[in-house]
Amino acid sequence: MTQRISKNKRFWMMNPVWQFFKYLWLSLKGMLIVAGGHGSTRSKDYQKSH
Amino acid sequence: MATILILGAGISGHVAASHLRRKLSKEHQVVVVSPNSNYQWIPSNIWVGIGRMKSKEILFPLAPLYKKKGIDFKQAKAISFFPEGDKNETKPYVLAEYVAGENKGQQEKVIYDYLINATGPKLNFEATAGLIPGQNKTYSVCTYTHANHAWEGLNALIQEMKNGKKAKILIGTGHAKATCQGAAFEYILNVEQELRRHKVRDRAEITWISNEYQLGDFGMDGMLLSYGSNIMKSSEMVEMVFEDRDIKWILGAGVNKIEDGKTHYETLEGEQKTETYDFAMLIPSFSGHGFKAFDKNNNEITDKLFKGFMLVDADYTPKPYEEWTAQDWPETYQNPSYKNIFAPGIAFAPPHSISKPRKSKSGTEIFPSPPRTGMPSGITAKLVADTIIDTIKKGKNLQEHKGSMANMGAACIASAGYGTFSGSGISITTFPIVPDYKKYPDTHGRKLGKTFGEIGLAGHWLKLTLHYVFMYKAKMKPFWWLLPE
Repeated sequence: MTQRISKNKRFWMMNPVWQFFKYLWLSLKGMLIVAGGHGSTRSKDYQKSH
Repeated sequence: MATILILGAGISGHVAASHLRRKLSKEHQVVVVSPNSNYQWIPSNIWVGIGRMKSKEILFPLAPLYKKKGIDFKQAKAISFFPEGDKNETKPYVLAEYVAGENKGQQEKVIYDYLINATGPKLNFEATAGLIPGQNKTYSVCTYTHANHAWEGLNALIQEMKNGKKAKILIGTGHAKATCQGAAFEYILNVEQELRRHKVRDRAEITWISNEYQLGDFGMDGMLLSYGSNIMKSSEMVEMVFEDRDIKWILGAGVNKIEDGKTHYETLEGEQKTETYDFAMLIPSFSGHGFKAFDKNNNEITDKLFKGFMLVDADYTPKPYEEWTAQDWPETYQNPSYKNIFAPGIAFAPPHSISKPRKSKSGTEIFPSPPRTGMPSGITAKLVADTIIDTIKKGKNLQEHKGSMANMGAACIASAGYGTFSGSGISITTFPIVPDYKKYPDTHGRKLGKTFGEIGLAGHWLKLTLHYVFMYKAKMKPFWWLLPE
């Protein structure tokens, strides 16, 4: 085993108070990215040529 | 009056059916044909597979819900497609065979005006010799019954380990071109945590085996992501997690044969190798269902509808990896030959993989197939439903609803362990799902601010929240439609 996550980092990763705010932030950011819309990638020129 | 036929009642089929029913008046008929009697929230199967969730918590019967909502449900499997009808039937139809109830074994022509093929994948265990869930000490978590078996197998091993047995656990992909690495990744981390909870972690050697060229490829060609104030590759993130948890890995492995406690695989160097294990969870390859299609004169026209999966508005021209573009990916999920047929979710044939194709020295293709599960399944199903609704209401096919996976974000919340205060999750969002190397040339095809990763307890809470939110939504409880896909 190689310790790759420091004890300090792990403390914050598992701290319920800090993680509660992370949870709110992640929920909001995830929602904005996913519900932020989707659409076409094809230009009118592409559509004409295909 | 229009009849919309939906084949399949998984995430994609169920999303389409529920939106169509809500937005169309009762004069229009929504028919769902599925061989499964239950809806299941597949992302939570990994928790069934470690015994931390009962399968009844992730499923519910479809028939009572559909009856209540006015959706016609036939528990049957599709057999063949007749998009022009036949000599006796002028309208298009799908030939289906009932799999349960008093009509079991009977075939029926299910007529439609619009068809949504949301049949998902066939779990192609047969493509790997000996890969049979529950046999040869191999398991799967692809369905809730498989996940139940996996937990039985894992629990038995844990009890033996408590009595002093040392064990080898192998988790990953069971075929050279399997996809869904994310599910296996979640499962290996959850198993590792459960072994620690049962205080037997020191007696287990855990190994990841995958057809990926690098860790963290996930069938998406890997990603460059923001992690705190750093920018790192997904391969580096996964390597950090695996090393921290003492998980070994084997990459570029095309598993081709399973024997009792032995997996045989080919490497990209062309070598044939064997790995032994006491418990394995290997994801099979996915394939189309092998449907056939016929025109009105009963001539076979399968190649107009299928290329393994269903043909849609993708650019299927064969070309090398360097020439792939975001524009190759479909946007309307409409079949080019029959405009009233759509295939969202896993049912559509992708134009090519997302990960770079690689061959072993002996010519075997070893690389992940592209994932289309979860979030993109729901989003593409909703946009197909909206296209049909607009076409019915406005009288013409407007194709206003488009959603390419190369212009669509996804949140992948990978569970890394279960527990209210001891759990963990790796939250990764990516935009777009299919990298657009022309638009984002310096950030590996993705927008960096929208492609980020986080590790911690919040990820577990988020994954658990998604479980309850999407079960609520799937049960079509009040205001369900306000929840995004």
